[in-house]
Amino acid sequence: MIDCARLESADVELYFYGELDPLDRARADAHLRGCAPCRQRLEDLHAIRRALASQPAVDAPPAGDWSGFMRRLDGAVGMDEASSVQKENTAGTSRRWSARQVLALAAMLALVTIGVGVVMAARFRAAPVPAGLAGKTPGAPAGAPVQQASTGADRSLREGSAEHLERSKLVVLGLATRDPRQTRAEDWQYERRLAGTLLSDTRLYRQAALDRGVSDVERVMRDLETVLLEVSMSDTTDRDALERVQRLIAKRDLVVKMQVATSGAAGI
Amino acid sequence: MVYRMAYQFAGNHHDAEDISQDVFIKVYRSLDRFRYDAQLTSWLYRIVMNACIDHKRRQSPAGWAPFTEEAEVQMVNTPADGPGPEDQAYGGQLGKVLESEIARLPPGQRLVFTMRHYEGLKLSEIASALGLAEGTVKRQLHAAVHRLRGALTSARVTTGGRA
Repeated sequence: MIDCARLESADVELYFYGELDPLDRARADAHLRGCAPCRQRLEDLHAIRRALASQPAVDAPPAGDWSGFMRRLDGAVGMDEASSVQKENTAGTSRRWSARQVLALAAMLALVTIGVGVVMAARFRAAPVPAGLAGKTPGAPAGAPVQQASTGADRSLREGSAEHLERSKLVVLGLATRDPRQTRAEDWQYERRLAGTLLSDTRLYRQAALDRGVSDVERVMRDLETVLLEVSMSDTTDRDALERVQRLIAKRDLVVKMQVATSGAAGI
Repeated sequence: MVYRMAYQFAGNHHDAEDISQDVFIKVYRSLDRFRYDAQLTSWLYRIVMNACIDHKRRQSPAGWAPFTEEAEVQMVNTPADGPGPEDQAYGGQLGKVLESEIARLPPGQRLVFTMRHYEGLKLSEIASALGLAEGTVKRQLHAAVHRLRGALTSARVTTGGRA
């Protein structure tokens, strides 16, 4: 093979990845026309891209099951919150509520970067706190406006949860009833996006239910969160994604749980 | 994106989960300090990259640094453990051979290649996110591509062009 000074530089890579400015790119074009070794290097890069593109992207844990990861994350965040509360004991509840908002935003960040876009982040920031949750942080100081009788707060949480589950049915039922053999990835793009927008509120409801000890709401929200996460993070090139989501919905018995929960908010 | 990058970097689910968890915790802790006029994705990429580096650092001897000149020399000359591309090329799966080679890349090269090739970040963005000179990032990419090209050539030779 004929030596070429450019072989020892990163020029071909920069050309391939579109990193050269127009003038340098024009020069590189001219060089490539007359330099077989550099053309071969460029063709190698195309071959590498084609070969890697043929491999499935791994963007979720095995079998798309995020529940283990979510448990670990919850544990780690819980420790972080406990430590924070200990340190700022005198600061009342403002820090904890702020942390919860931050947590929801963190979940949103993941969605932003998997394709839903920055618009979603803005939407979340502009969105009101889910009905029934605002200011109902456990442990609020006595006499604060947020302090309510637990039954009233729980009822409010259940009502808000039921409304949220009604909205979420659009995604869950929409996906559970599709025929995977006749459904292309783009056919459930709407559900994928909707799942992303519902995820942060789901997490808030679950956290609130967990904090209040409303375990039945917490369980259904946890299952919903797992499914929404799987849906929103699924890759459009992954042809098995829909079947995996459907298996997850069935495994968690989510349709029935949501039906029970929304048939009477008090009976969740 | 977080999990995909973590997996590309770590090459296995266990470490990918560890890294992803670190990322979410860091986001959780530092979102208060995020300036909303800043680029959200760049900020997140920076956190992911740092989490990858931190994770590798925890697994490695003290003093590990992925982007020093010494590390760069070592990166180019020290193959990682595991079966080489020749061994895998017999399977005729070029993509798998290359993925295996990416997993064997030194961490600095792997990170830069992943960010550039899979995530489509500009070299200047990678440099900014990692706090490195663009020239350093360029050398890392060049070295990574050099290794992958070697794997590609070996696979072609081994399989008689079938790969």
